[in-house]
Amino acid sequence: MSMTYAEQTTEFMARIEAGEKIEASDWMPDEYRIALVRFIQMHALSEIMGAYPEKEWVPRAPTLARKLSLMSKVQDEMGHGQLILRIAEDLAAPLGKSREDLIEELFTGQCKFHNVFHMPAPTWADCGVIGWLVDGAAVVSQGALLDSSYAPYARVLKRVCAEEGFHIQHGESICLALAEGTPEQRQSLQDAINRWWEALLHFFGPKEVSNSANILLKYRFRVKTNEELRQKFFTKYITRVNALGLTVPDPNFHWDEATQLWIYADPDWSRLKAITRNEGPMSRERLRLRQLSYEQAAWVRQALTAPVAV
Amino acid sequence: MLDKPVFSIYEVFMQKDQMSPHVHVGSVDAGTPEDALLLARENFLRRDEAVSLWVVRQDAIHATPYSDPDWFAHPAEKAYRMTQSYARENNDRWRKYKKRMLTLDDVVKD
Repeated sequence: MSMTYAEQTTEFMARIEAGEKIEASDWMPDEYRIALVRFIQMHALSEIMGAYPEKEWVPRAPTLARKLSLMSKVQDEMGHGQLILRIAEDLAAPLGKSREDLIEELFTGQCKFHNVFHMPAPTWADCGVIGWLVDGAAVVSQGALLDSSYAPYARVLKRVCAEEGFHIQHGESICLALAEGTPEQRQSLQDAINRWWEALLHFFGPKEVSNSANILLKYRFRVKTNEELRQKFFTKYITRVNALGLTVPDPNFHWDEATQLWIYADPDWSRLKAITRNEGPMSRERLRLRQLSYEQAAWVRQALTAPVAV
Repeated sequence: MLDKPVFSIYEVFMQKDQMSPHVHVGSVDAGTPEDALLLARENFLRRDEAVSLWVVRQDAIHATPYSDPDWFAHPAEKAYRMTQSYARENNDRWRKYKKRMLTLDDVVKD
C-alpha cells in the first residue's frame, strides 16, 4: 500500500523529530530538498569564491613561509568547494539540475555567495584578519551544522571543519605577528579590524528569521539562528581582540549581564542587500574572473569526460 | 559549441596503512577511473597519509536500505558471544586458585 505525499511528509517529520539522519537516497519532501540544495550550493560556491581575495595575496605575501601557508589555505578552499558541490549534486539531480547548472547559477545571480568574499583585501593585515576572524566566523557557523539532519553534509563538514582549524591558526599567526610588530603594523591590524567589522556582523545574516531559515530549522538541518551564531562569535573572539589591546569600531559594544547578550550597534543592512544583488565592492570583478576561468577551462572539462562509445 | 561533459560518480576508499582496511571517505565526479583516482588524491589526501586508494563507480555498489532497520535486528540477545558475559564469573572462580582470568592481550603479548 503506497502512501500519499502528505503521509510521507508526516512520516519524514517524525523521523526528523526522533533525531534520525537523512541520506541522499531517502525520500524527502520537496521543501526539504529545495531548501538544502540552495543552502549547500551557496556554501560550495562561496568556498570557491573565498579563494579570490586570498589568492590576490599569494604573490605578495611577506615571507616564503606565509606564501606556502596561504597557498595551502587557497587550495583547501577550492577543495572544500569540490567536496561540498558533490553533496549538492546528489540532492539536485532529482530536480533535473546538473553540476554545471549549479555552478552557472552563480553567473546568473540566482545563487549568491557569502558577503565577506565581496569585500576588498587592500593590506596584508586584511589577509590576517580574513584567516583569523572571517574563518573564525565560518567555523562558528559550520561547527553548528556538524549534527545536521542531512548526514552526507554533516560527514563532509567534519573534514572541512578540520581543515578550517588550520586556517584559523594561520590567521592567528599573522595577526599575532602584526600585533607584536612595529607601531605601523599594529595600526594596520587595527585598521583592518575596523574595515572588516561590518562584514563580520553581516556574515551571520539578519536578526529576523527568514522563511528559508525557518524551513532549515524545522527540519533540523540547522539548529541555531543567525543571531545565536553571531552572539557565539562575539563570545569566542571579542575578548581575544581586546586582549591584544585592539578594539572593535563600536564604542558602545558591551556584554549585558541582565539579558546575557552582547549589545552591538546594528550594521547598515542595506549594504548587505546590495551585496546580495552582486553590487558589493568586489562582486562584479571577482565574478568576472570566476566566469572567465570557467569558460576558458571548458576544454579541460570536455577532455576529462568519459569517451562516448562509437 | 561543446556538449555538456558527462561525469560519473565514484565512491572513494582510502587505506592509511597496509595493516588497516580501506575506509570510505566520500565521492568524486570523474570521466574515467584513472582521473577519479587523481581527483580523489586531490580531494582527500591534502593532509591524510595513505598507501592506497580505491575508486568504485557508485552504481557498482550494493547497499542495505536505511529504511529497513530490521535488516540488522538480532533475533535474540547474544551475550553468549561477548567476553563481558564471562569476565566476572571467570575472575570470581580463578580467585580461589589465587589467579585471574587471562585476556586476549595477556595471551598475545610476549
